[in-house]
Amino acid sequence: MKPILECKALSKRFGNVLALDTVELSIEPGRVVGLLGPNGSGKTTLIKLANGLLTPSSGEILIAGQKPGPNSKSIVSYLPDRPYLADWMNVRQLMDFFADFYGDFRCDKAREMLARLGIEENMRIKQMSKGTREKVQLILVMSREAGLYLLDEPIGGVDPATRDYILDTIIRNYNPEAAVILSTHLIADVEQVLDDVIFINRGRIVLQSSVDDIRAEHGTSVDGYFREVFKC
Amino acid sequence: MLGKLLKHEFRATGRIMLPVFGVLLILSMLFNVSVRLSGKIDFPLLRIFFGLVGVAFVVGIIAAELLSLILMIYRFYRNMLGDEGYLMFTLPTDVHALVWSKLIVSFVWLLLTNLLILLIMFFTAFSFSQTGLQEVFRQLPSWAETRQMLAELGISVGMLTGLALEGLLILLLAGLTVCLHFYASMSLGHMFSRRKILWSVLFFVGISFTFRFLLSGLFLLLIPALDQGRLQVLFTDGAGLTDIIRVMMLIMGAGGLVSLAESVILYLATTLSLQKRLNLA
Repeated sequence: MKPILECKALSKRFGNVLALDTVELSIEPGRVVGLLGPNGSGKTTLIKLANGLLTPSSGEILIAGQKPGPNSKSIVSYLPDRPYLADWMNVRQLMDFFADFYGDFRCDKAREMLARLGIEENMRIKQMSKGTREKVQLILVMSREAGLYLLDEPIGGVDPATRDYILDTIIRNYNPEAAVILSTHLIADVEQVLDDVIFINRGRIVLQSSVDDIRAEHGTSVDGYFREVFKC
Repeated sequence: MLGKLLKHEFRATGRIMLPVFGVLLILSMLFNVSVRLSGKIDFPLLRIFFGLVGVAFVVGIIAAELLSLILMIYRFYRNMLGDEGYLMFTLPTDVHALVWSKLIVSFVWLLLTNLLILLIMFFTAFSFSQTGLQEVFRQLPSWAETRQMLAELGISVGMLTGLALEGLLILLLAGLTVCLHFYASMSLGHMFSRRKILWSVLFFVGISFTFRFLLSGLFLLLIPALDQGRLQVLFTDGAGLTDIIRVMMLIMGAGGLVSLAESVILYLATTLSLQKRLNLA
């Protein structure tokens, strides 16, 4: 199967700091992958490179065989690790925005999810609580029938109930033929939804394996194995 | 894609600029009414009110002008280089379309603001004059009379049209250059990890000084290259209005080329830094 995301000797340097060091990676469609690593390990840098928000210092990153650009962006649905929607916009305007730019955006799907949460379409982002904003962002991102979902810390900084809602929304709504890459350091919470994991530390890929293999080979959960590998 | 970007950019900026235009129109109407009434009513409190309306009118004009400029800077900073940039730069479009959408919309608002202010000034001037607007239009010469007057002065309609078109083109380029000067400074300043605003200001000042120096040189080089003996004629005894217009067109042409060169350099600086060195916080 043709990989949806591929990194070939990918490196990214910020001044003297090597954020990613000759990363070799291949992710196939139809998998939910956890990109796991401690803070500052290079998770966000890798996701930004896949989105074309950064350019590689050397090597290359390919999305469905193409370098990041307008074509790759049309099949990638990205959730950044911060609030990124204009706060003066209301939900209807945001849906209009997404529908205009992304041909794979499903308004009906978004409306259904919003209705389930009781979020009014005329509600402005600035009127919402932090948790509701995060939910709206996630709903917009997951209402696309994309080829690759890149979710950067989707459960960071939210309460456990919201965390459950977010994970449930991801699993219920992603396109089954797509790959989902979910970066986090809160492994225990996401472990249940993952097919594969990638451990990243100091810009290097330490491990790429399926969750089942980790459990079978090491006789422990992904969270337990992560703690073992990244023991301080 | 540019069309969609323009639609959303107009939506984002129109919600600010249209109410400003509305307020400006209301203030100008109030001012016009107060000017007409002030000569007829001699009541101290009303005189104070008329004075306050006058002050509000002037402040409104300055505020509208400043706001269109501030909005142009703020939209680029917030929507492209702030957190909203995470959405804008992951849209399935390229940097050129993003920059052009900002450029076109900012230019349109700057242009509309200035046109509106000019119109308001024009009508306000008649509030003070004894001559009515209809009377002025009645006294304007007809097209045939205008052509005859121009012919007597030795100026062809073609020449005058050329001068007007050149003026419009220079105005367009000047507007684009102002926007691009800010965009390039901010894009270059945001390549740095720290003190991005300070770097942006330094780039703005640096670009101003360097460009004024280099482009003045280019302007002085272009004048003799484009001259074709027009300047020399100006210092002869037989020099007429046509010769003055020709020299004006020469100077404006050289100025336009310099402005075009400045715009191209600033556009490249903006798009290349956003493409190659984008550094969202």
